[in-house]
Amino acid sequence: MTPTTTPLLRPYARGFAAVVGLQVIGAVAALAPLLAVVELGRTLLAPGPADHGHVRNVVIAGAAGLFVQLLFTAASSGVGHLLDTRVQLALRRQLAASLGRVPIGWLSRRRSGELAKLVGEDVSAVHPVIAHTPGEMVSAFVVPLISLVYLFTVDWRLTLVTLIPVLLAVALVPLMMTPTRLREQKEFDAAMGRISASVVEFVQGIAVVKAFGGADRAHRKFRTAVDDFTRSFYAMVRGLAGIAAGMQVVLSPPFVLLTVLVGGAWRITGGGLAAADLLPFLLLGLGLTAPVAALGHGFDDLQTARRAVGRIQDVLAEPPLPEPARPVPPQGHRVELRDVRFGYEADREVLRGVDLVLEPGTVTAVVGPSGSGKSTLVQLLPRFFDPDHGSVLLGGVDLRDVGSRELYRRVSFVFQDVRLLRASVADNIALAVPHADRDAVIRSARLAHIHDRILELPRGYDAVIGDDARLSGGEAQRISLARALLADAPVLVLDEATAFADPQTEAAVREALMLTRGERTTLVIAHRMETIADANTVVMLRDGEIVERGTPAELLAQGGEFAGFWRLHADVTEGEETR
Amino acid sequence: MITMLLRVLGHECAGPVRRTVALMAATAIAEGLSYALLVPVLRALFGSEPGDAWPWLLGFGAAVAGFAALRYVADRSGFRAGTTLLHGMYYRLGDHLARLPIGWYRPGRIGEVSVLVSQGVLQAMSVIAHLLAPYISASVTPLVIVAVMLTFNWQLGLAALIAVPVVAVIQARTGRATTATDTERVARERAATGRVIEYLQAQPVLRAGGRTAERFELLDDSLADLQQASRRATFAALPGVLGLAVTVQAAFTSLLALGAYLAVGGDLGAAELLAVLVLAARCADPLLSLAELGGSLRAARAELVRLDEVLRTEPLPEPPEPRQPAGHGVEFDAVTFRHGDRTVADGVSLSVPDGQRLAVVGPSGAGKSTLLQLLARFYDVDAGAVRVGGVDVREMVAADLMARIAIVFQDVYLFDGTIEDNVRLGRPDATEAEVRDAAAAARLDEVVERLPGGWSAHVGEGGTLLSGGERQRVAIARALLKDAPIVLLDEVTSALDPVSEAAVHAGIERLMAGRTVVMVAHRMRTVRRADQVAFLDGGRIVEQGSHDELLRLGGRYAGYWDLTQVVQY
Repeated sequence: MTPTTTPLLRPYARGFAAVVGLQVIGAVAALAPLLAVVELGRTLLAPGPADHGHVRNVVIAGAAGLFVQLLFTAASSGVGHLLDTRVQLALRRQLAASLGRVPIGWLSRRRSGELAKLVGEDVSAVHPVIAHTPGEMVSAFVVPLISLVYLFTVDWRLTLVTLIPVLLAVALVPLMMTPTRLREQKEFDAAMGRISASVVEFVQGIAVVKAFGGADRAHRKFRTAVDDFTRSFYAMVRGLAGIAAGMQVVLSPPFVLLTVLVGGAWRITGGGLAAADLLPFLLLGLGLTAPVAALGHGFDDLQTARRAVGRIQDVLAEPPLPEPARPVPPQGHRVELRDVRFGYEADREVLRGVDLVLEPGTVTAVVGPSGSGKSTLVQLLPRFFDPDHGSVLLGGVDLRDVGSRELYRRVSFVFQDVRLLRASVADNIALAVPHADRDAVIRSARLAHIHDRILELPRGYDAVIGDDARLSGGEAQRISLARALLADAPVLVLDEATAFADPQTEAAVREALMLTRGERTTLVIAHRMETIADANTVVMLRDGEIVERGTPAELLAQGGEFAGFWRLHADVTEGEETR
Repeated sequence: MITMLLRVLGHECAGPVRRTVALMAATAIAEGLSYALLVPVLRALFGSEPGDAWPWLLGFGAAVAGFAALRYVADRSGFRAGTTLLHGMYYRLGDHLARLPIGWYRPGRIGEVSVLVSQGVLQAMSVIAHLLAPYISASVTPLVIVAVMLTFNWQLGLAALIAVPVVAVIQARTGRATTATDTERVARERAATGRVIEYLQAQPVLRAGGRTAERFELLDDSLADLQQASRRATFAALPGVLGLAVTVQAAFTSLLALGAYLAVGGDLGAAELLAVLVLAARCADPLLSLAELGGSLRAARAELVRLDEVLRTEPLPEPPEPRQPAGHGVEFDAVTFRHGDRTVADGVSLSVPDGQRLAVVGPSGAGKSTLLQLLARFYDVDAGAVRVGGVDVREMVAADLMARIAIVFQDVYLFDGTIEDNVRLGRPDATEAEVRDAAAAARLDEVVERLPGGWSAHVGEGGTLLSGGERQRVAIARALLKDAPIVLLDEVTSALDPVSEAAVHAGIERLMAGRTVVMVAHRMRTVRRADQVAFLDGGRIVEQGSHDELLRLGGRYAGYWDLTQVVQY
């Protein structure tokens, strides 16, 4: 494995060494029965009657060797597999821990499915390396090496003859590396990439394509990609087929045996070799081809595992959200943004110097065209990202100096699609407050207008979502509202687009927030004119800058951008009234 | 395995596959038979006249040449069959996927299928290409060798023969035993993946509750469960691997002991015995590799089963005698539709005359979007009928139906192409001016101006480089360009902020003008402009009439209306 992957697997080095050690002993013991055959041959072919006792000992030695081999390879495989499950569990736990520490913004910019694949499939890719590679490596390199040394001591000339198939195979390798072959290989790799891409595009786009009656066109495009792919596949295969077949034949047992026998016949008829000494070559000679066959395989599993471990490493190396060495508790919950600049990429600023104060007990509505930076702005409060320049303060303390647990206790937000856990309704509501009692849970469920619905479920608050209960989108949203109400964070960030699944939910959210308003600091991406009209402050965002701010009335009086947009909206509405 | 392979591949591929398998088997037999010549060769070499071995060696050489030729032909045939298979498989999948109803493509499934088609096919094929030949050779060659042994010495041959049924039984049982535990492991893997996704999506809440990975038991338990299942799978495979090893080694040991006994007693020549033992040693490796090869082939088989499932999903039937609709009115006639065990539409009857607007209102999960999807024939109804221009949608050619309908969904999927490509999808042969006009009406021109690259700006996979409002404008422009007589709108503006909403309003108005419209909406302001409103709950129409009539009725709709009017912060 590469140096970078070793630290990850270092704690298991001893277990791994045991796997390899057991495997070596087993593989060497496996030579015993073959040597027993050799010795038997020598005894039987020797002139005069055979020594019965010696024959019996040879047979017993061979059987014992087999038994040792069985024992040790089985132990190696067993230990290897168990070690493998331990490594996998440990890697998954490390990944989970690491993903629980990275900035949420980092998570939100990645697909959950992709990260789940990392924790699942990529970790599983280490399986062959730990459980199977030691055995393969030992039989590919250790055993042939020992055999080779032994054969040289028997007869060096015949050993060289025995190596002819290996040399022939190695000689064929350059033929597979000619510029033409390499070009074909490259073309094939490219075609492989193209076919994957067009499959994904075809499948993912098909719903849209069909809805617009373009299915035939997309389908034809896909077929063309398939034709291209098979053409380059065939070109590559045709170029390689002859050489590959030659290699296969050269390394095949019949050819190796033929070579050994011809060499042996030459040596024996020449009188340079005792007939019995041919046996070790017949029995061990075949094993000498193992390294070439293994190299031909290219250790595919090892490559796959190395790439997977690389990806795992990348995630583990992702810096966690920096936690303050000494967290400072915020004083109150006034939120202040000071000259905040932020961009996802270095040269494209999304927020370009935002100053904003959110007073406790007030509602601030953010409006602006799409792409103006509204979502980015609100995501800074729960510290999805840290600003590139300037700072966000909560209760006078920079968010970077507030511990993350404290931060998420004080700032709750509703702006992602709600996903409930496959756990009981009560657990779902109490997620942020694990030790909340049932009464508190019920109280917030009532406030969120979901209590009655919960009681209708088969096991009420103990119903497991997904198993016992299927909830509609609006109902799920009200559960998550109950969750937010129970957490009772003094700062609330809300995107109305995702918070309102239907008028009923919208009403529940509005009512609950109004009832529990108190000293809460609320920042909302407004989607309803009512919300805007009722806000204490309206902030108009354009291209990452605040272009207008004030009470709704002030802004209307200013006659600026907000007023223009308000009137446009009013026109639309009035047009409807007069219909 | 082969049967499953042939079913998935379709019968046009059966010929090449059968020929390849036959050639591989013939190669394995030739290999086994060529070893028979070892006996006379060794007899000569170990005897007093080693020179007598040369003619036999020549014969062996000829046999090896024959084996090599067969093997080459088998390889060629395998490659050719592989290429044909790959090509045929993709074509079959492509044809089939194009015919499946849109309703089949749920978000989760799209990901699954694209992985299956892009990687699964190659994986299954490459395993077959690489493992089929070794598997056949590992099972056939030893059998032939046993037969050869039998002809030279019946006692030793018999001893070897005993191992054959044992190996076969072990192989079969291992297959069954591991299938069960493998299935369990796959199930645990899926459960763990689900937990990981939950864990990721619930991060903020979990962090607020101070629940790190170690203290979020739901995830940690599922990871531990997965480890347990992997262990069980390992232990389930162990008896098979061990049993095979024990059998093969016991057979070798008994050959060794029996052979030594016979040779010492003078019943068997040393050369024959040694030849048999060399052959026996030759059998051991391939037999031991059977366990692993079998496991890999089973994995490939699982992939094939998944492909088979996709291929066996029934597409929507096409009418034998398609009919042309008259006009663009839309009608739901006592429509009932079930999704699994849930009745999503329950005896819905609605009719929208040509050029009129119907708004469908109701709580989320009421079945509103399903009505639109039934109209566009994403699914077929279970009872009743959906008609367009008086003709049942099932009696129309799919392309004909889609040509009459323009849809704007709440979630807009865009291709990873340019903005222009995505708009042009509405009508590929539209002129430059028509595209620009539609874009202007949807206020997409502002977006295009702002983006680096303008019209040729790429939108990213699924359109992720654009904001929700921008994607929505692309969809509206696309629908405008399509200029279809029937327009379906699914909560088009509910995800938009007021500024974007105001911006696209004109575009939507133009899209609706003079057309038959069915829209699902939450915004009551949009709803009140409809000619007709249907309030849907639990798949049934609860109230129906014009906005004013329903308000006067003072029922569910009126309650909704009040909710959105009165409640404020």
